[in-house]
Amino acid sequence: MSFEEFQNSARLYVIGALEPDELQNFEASRKKYGAAAEDFINQCYSLHEAFALSLKPAKASAAIKDRLMSMVRERSNRQSGSAPSA
Amino acid sequence: MSSGLGPASEVEGPKQEPVTVSIGTEPGAPSDVELITAIQAGDADALSHLYDRYSGILKALILRIIHNDTEADDLLQEVFLEIWNQAKNFSAEKGKPLGWMVTLTRRRSIDALRKKQAYARAEERLQAEPERQPLAWVQNTTAEEITAGDTRALMAKVISSLPEAQQQVIDLAFFRGMSQREIAAHTNIPLGTVKTRLELGLKKIYDSLKELKDEL
Repeated sequence: MSFEEFQNSARLYVIGALEPDELQNFEASRKKYGAAAEDFINQCYSLHEAFALSLKPAKASAAIKDRLMSMVRERSNRQSGSAPSA
Repeated sequence: MSSGLGPASEVEGPKQEPVTVSIGTEPGAPSDVELITAIQAGDADALSHLYDRYSGILKALILRIIHNDTEADDLLQEVFLEIWNQAKNFSAEKGKPLGWMVTLTRRRSIDALRKKQAYARAEERLQAEPERQPLAWVQNTTAEEITAGDTRALMAKVISSLPEAQQQVIDLAFFRGMSQREIAAHTNIPLGTVKTRLELGLKKIYDSLKELKDEL
């Protein structure tokens, strides 16, 4: 696989669209091209950001955030060993 | 197989900058990396800040995949809990926080789509609006937004510049987690054509992102 072919496959790889047989060839080429391959794969993840940023943001529920932060603070307190005040 | 050039000569050169185009933040506000670093140290306020900054984008992504507002809210909560729990695994050297969060959100959403058998329900909804499907991805983009340099509008412009056939296969692969074979079966398009459309479409988007980064 040439590096250009690897680049085409990498863009499919990051969105999970490689078929199993293609994945084997891709992983072999990934080893062959080493750091350059890893750099390119990391860059390809920018496609994920692009797809997400192309969407119109949706309103997230305030209640969800309250519940989330309550859970996180409770876990955080448990981990730090300081029990919440009664 | 090989192009004739050896691996070293094909890939040598200065390390490229990531092509990420990120959303703007207020002057003086902590960067995404600073927020993730604070979360790694157990700072819940940093998670709250990150939620305010990205919950809208991540919920839109979840909704685009599972098409159900209540499930989207539940998943959004799970995603931010995972961000809290997995922040220690984030490495700024490997990419930007938003890319990491989007990858995590997409994976969870597609898992949920399959697990909860919401696929069939989403299918029904999609079938109710088949002709809108590819364009629904990038709707509501106005010339004003593009002129104003709005990141969403720029991204939507990049994607909407693709032929609809390429948008369609990318949409099915990214937002519905379909493999090339699944897309071929779903659309009755030959497998080779699906692959070509995916490769061409993704390359165009990738190249456009690089150009956008240079312009911004």
